[in-house]
Amino acid sequence: MDKAFLIQFTGSMAAVAVLVGLAAWARLGRPAPGLDEARARDLLAEDFPDWRIDQLWIAREGRGAIARSGACALVLIQVGDGYAARRLSWCQASSAMFRNGQLDIRLGEVAAPRAVLAFDNWPPKDLAA
Amino acid sequence: MEEIDPVGLAVPFFILAIVLELLLGRLGWAKARYEPKDTFTSLAMGLGSSVAGLATAGVIFAASLWVYQHRLFDIPMTAVWAWVLIFLLEDKTYYWFHRLSHERRFWWASHVNHHTSQHYNLSTALRQTWTGGVAGTWLLWLPLSLIGFPPAMVAIQKGISLVYQFWIHTEAIGRMPRWFEAVFNTPSHHRVHHARNPRYLDRNYAGILIIWDRMFGTFQSELESEPCRYGVVKNLATFNPLRVAFHEWAAIGRDLMRAKSLREAGLYVFGAPGWSPDGSRETSHQIRARWAAGQVPDPLSPAEAEATVPRPGAHSESPA
Repeated sequence: MDKAFLIQFTGSMAAVAVLVGLAAWARLGRPAPGLDEARARDLLAEDFPDWRIDQLWIAREGRGAIARSGACALVLIQVGDGYAARRLSWCQASSAMFRNGQLDIRLGEVAAPRAVLAFDNWPPKDLAA
Repeated sequence: MEEIDPVGLAVPFFILAIVLELLLGRLGWAKARYEPKDTFTSLAMGLGSSVAGLATAGVIFAASLWVYQHRLFDIPMTAVWAWVLIFLLEDKTYYWFHRLSHERRFWWASHVNHHTSQHYNLSTALRQTWTGGVAGTWLLWLPLSLIGFPPAMVAIQKGISLVYQFWIHTEAIGRMPRWFEAVFNTPSHHRVHHARNPRYLDRNYAGILIIWDRMFGTFQSELESEPCRYGVVKNLATFNPLRVAFHEWAAIGRDLMRAKSLREAGLYVFGAPGWSPDGSRETSHQIRARWAAGQVPDPLSPAEAEATVPRPGAHSESPA
């Protein structure tokens, strides 16, 4: 491999490391106090504007949420200081693996492989019939 | 003659500008939001893009040379008029390349990664494609060599355009003077382009001159009443650069596996991003139409209102 390329590539990787370090030091992320119900509904409404939310469960420390909307589950996943939302069948969400307080939903997308949310129990005890 | 590479020359400036934006943000002197993992992904995508570009650079250069050998005119690289002309023609080519990259899924698959950050800062500018060479959008620039512009001249002008577009990826700058906003692409105009609000979807494709959007009906001004929410219609739940680079290609492959006819397969690949045979997904055009249908008329100025309403025939089907 070309020596000049290797030097340039190594230097670029070093620059990336320095800039990421600076970004961490600067602490310029969005304030993320954790979701409450109102915020979760607002975020879900951005991605699913016309969807009725029957029930909503906020993950521990507000780091995500799951809403039931008819036969569908609407999932909010915390990604850094932002969120991604996905829709799946309620069946898939309610039967997802739950172990040690962690609900692990396989979303099966390259862009969103899984949603891991912390709950005290799952499926939720207050689940409406 | 050794070819000038504006992007390569500008890399130290890119790094210094990001450091400056971070420091100004830290000091509270400018608006800047950085999330370390997001910053890593953007910079890794930039680095990966440079490496991936090497794989196809030879083919692209050879194709440009071949076309140039069949040129219609001899255009001197030393003439000022030639630089003015290529500035305009390259910028217009960029507009259509960029519009195509949003409106047709095959090219969106290559371009989408640039829009996957939920932040808008100078590092986002470096979140570049790894698959641009394979997607073949470089073909759109070949007519410039056919006209008679030397391939080196085309490459330099493309580089100048990319360097120009770096500084507009920032929230630190509000608005430029009115005359500048009217003619040039600016941070304000490009924030709109990176926003996922229905009102802002598929607007402001410009490279350097915003006049093309004004001419072709895709202009939207940034409204104080509607702050930009950055990202794509379906935001990514990962910072992994490999997933960012290839997720839409993988999604196309998955859709093709379940296509029931050639027509469906064709539309999955070359239709608008978000197209599906059963309408279970939405294109940007549909999202905008749904949003527009539910809108109460805004108290906007006539000019703002005019730039807000989707126009018939002005396609806007792609996410963010």
